Amino acid sequence: MLKKYKLNFAHLYGDLMNTYGDWGNILALKYYASKIGVDINSELISLGDEFNSNKYDFVLFGGGQDYEETIVAKDLPNKAKALIKYIENNGPLLAVCGGFQLLGHYMVMADGTKVNGISAMDHYTENLHFKGLIKNKEKRLIGNITIKNPVTGEEYHGFENHQGRTFLGKNEIPLGQVLEGFGNNGEDISEGVIYKNVFGSYFHGPILTRNGNLAKRILTTALNKKYPKEDWESKLKSIPTESF
Amino acid sequence: MSIRSKIAFLAGSTALKLTKKFKKTGGTSYPGKLAYKIDPNILKDLSKNMETIIVTGTNGKTLTTALSVRVLQETGRTIITNPSGSNMVQGIISTLLEHHKEIKHGSNPLAVLEVDEANVAKIAQLLKPKYFILTNIFRDQLDRYGEIYTTYDKITDGIKLVPNATVLANGDSPIFSRINFPNSIKYFGFNHSNSKSKIKAPNNTDGILSPSDDSVLYYNFITYANLGKFFSITDDFKRPELKYFVTKVSKLKPTFSDFLIDKEKFHIPIGGLYNIYNALAAYSIGKEYGIESSKIGSVLNKDSRIFGRQEVININGKQVTIVLIKNPVGTNSVIDMMSTDDKPFDLITLLNANYADGIDTSWIFDAEFEKLHKTKLKQIIIGGQRYKDLDVRLKFAGFKNTIIEKDFEQLIDLISNSKTKHFYIAATYTAMLDIRKVLNQKGFVKESF
Repeated sequence: MLKKYKLNFAHLYGDLMNTYGDWGNILALKYYASKIGVDINSELISLGDEFNSNKYDFVLFGGGQDYEETIVAKDLPNKAKALIKYIENNGPLLAVCGGFQLLGHYMVMADGTKVNGISAMDHYTENLHFKGLIKNKEKRLIGNITIKNPVTGEEYHGFENHQGRTFLGKNEIPLGQVLEGFGNNGEDISEGVIYKNVFGSYFHGPILTRNGNLAKRILTTALNKKYPKEDWESKLKSIPTESF
Repeated sequence: MSIRSKIAFLAGSTALKLTKKFKKTGGTSYPGKLAYKIDPNILKDLSKNMETIIVTGTNGKTLTTALSVRVLQETGRTIITNPSGSNMVQGIISTLLEHHKEIKHGSNPLAVLEVDEANVAKIAQLLKPKYFILTNIFRDQLDRYGEIYTTYDKITDGIKLVPNATVLANGDSPIFSRINFPNSIKYFGFNHSNSKSKIKAPNNTDGILSPSDDSVLYYNFITYANLGKFFSITDDFKRPELKYFVTKVSKLKPTFSDFLIDKEKFHIPIGGLYNIYNALAAYSIGKEYGIESSKIGSVLNKDSRIFGRQEVININGKQVTIVLIKNPVGTNSVIDMMSTDDKPFDLITLLNANYADGIDTSWIFDAEFEKLHKTKLKQIIIGGQRYKDLDVRLKFAGFKNTIIEKDFEQLIDLISNSKTKHFYIAATYTAMLDIRKVLNQKGFVKESF
């Protein structure tokens, strides 16, 4: 009998933070998982719902419009403790745009409104009017982007569209260095973040659909954590990687 | 007319004559651009003695405008309208320059103008419309305008400039009930179901928060996307009372729809639930102008050419339906329409990412291509600049053995030689222009759009 493997996903605020095809990230992980006989169960965790830090093997926290993001920011403190516990226990998490911003200390919206994050990680986000900016002042950062991770040598392709300028903090390293485009802040060629097993990025695209290498990396992390006896990396190696 | 506007008028009219003489196709915005440069207020002079209706919203404004024009022709008044695509200030000036004589000498002239969302305030301020027709606001070309609430603000800024104007809005769209206008507002929508269900919209739906308490909205029923009979958990925000409404949807097919508005039977020669909304908007403005329901019904039934965006052509005996896709809601509606098709078909889908298509293609992951599994689809063929994105999207949706064909000439040969008798081409705007060009060269369509 074939042994069944199963991962539980939490899609944080998937009904509100859903503006830029973030659902595609779950579709990408499902696709690769199905090729190696792993089932994915995805659950929506939204306003008023409890987040159980022991229940999930992967969490997606997507981007949304400013209005929805402020509503989410008000609800998020109720889940902060459990989310921080999940992250500190090396739980895999992908955070895009707004989700990435809200895991940090704060974000300033285009109109100057400051929205507090949950300080699960040490970055913070200023807006396009931020006085400290030297390059690309007063400008939305829009366009195609390519970055390279200096450790793995992997390249990631996508599309960015954000006004926020995110600056990384303690124990955080960028997901990659910008080869083309703007990245976190248009200043220091960093794009995205890696902290423990958290991956953050400004990429729409959605990031995992165009970057199968990253999708496989995240999937491997989640599977190794839950089923450490199997060699997931070589299983996934035999599946063609969608990367363009 | 001031001297300045006279000069602007002369320059614009001359430019119009010259472009007409040297270019075969109309619809250029250059004369308007020139006149606008000389006198930004020229619209005011050009529209003297003219009544205006502005049609705006992200989806369906072209068809709603065309249908409203046909319905309002029943008033016997001189009706002026702008070609789709000429919906910004310059394009509208060009339109009014072109129809200058009709406006001056016609019988009580009435302009039905499709207006780009970001241009509503500019145009409303000068033309002081009598009606605003609001179709819907869905996520569209976010890289251009930002978010649905930004688009909404742009439209309402324009409406507030003309407090005497009446707003005819889609009542099933929660966004149009968000704020109170000083204007009189009348809603149209669907009352075809007595459902007392309490459902939420699917996860991927935009614009589902109640402005009263920022909770996620519930619905008794959803027609499509976030449209339906909505209410907040505390019931302090809910679907407004409708003035004009569909009471029954009798039959939905790819080529026609049958429905009742206030017990009157309607038949429109086009598929897609979303087109019933367009017809309903045209019905509503018709009623506002005192036209009888039966007359509106026969106008909507009569002429299939006005439903131009969904066009059916014949390629070597194959029936090919061309539809435009540009955002998740539109694409889902097109897929819903395909699911009403009884005959097996092949689907050709083309994705470009030029400015007019939206340069961010991430929306394809919010469209539910998975639903195609429930249709009579036989084969998918993929093309356009961003064929790779589409290929991956469809692969993730579980479709195997899709064909990639980047060359449009070969694509047409493929249709021509196919055993399948029935095709859909679903393409983004510039991809549609591109394939039409090739279809035109081969003589399958007359004009290049």
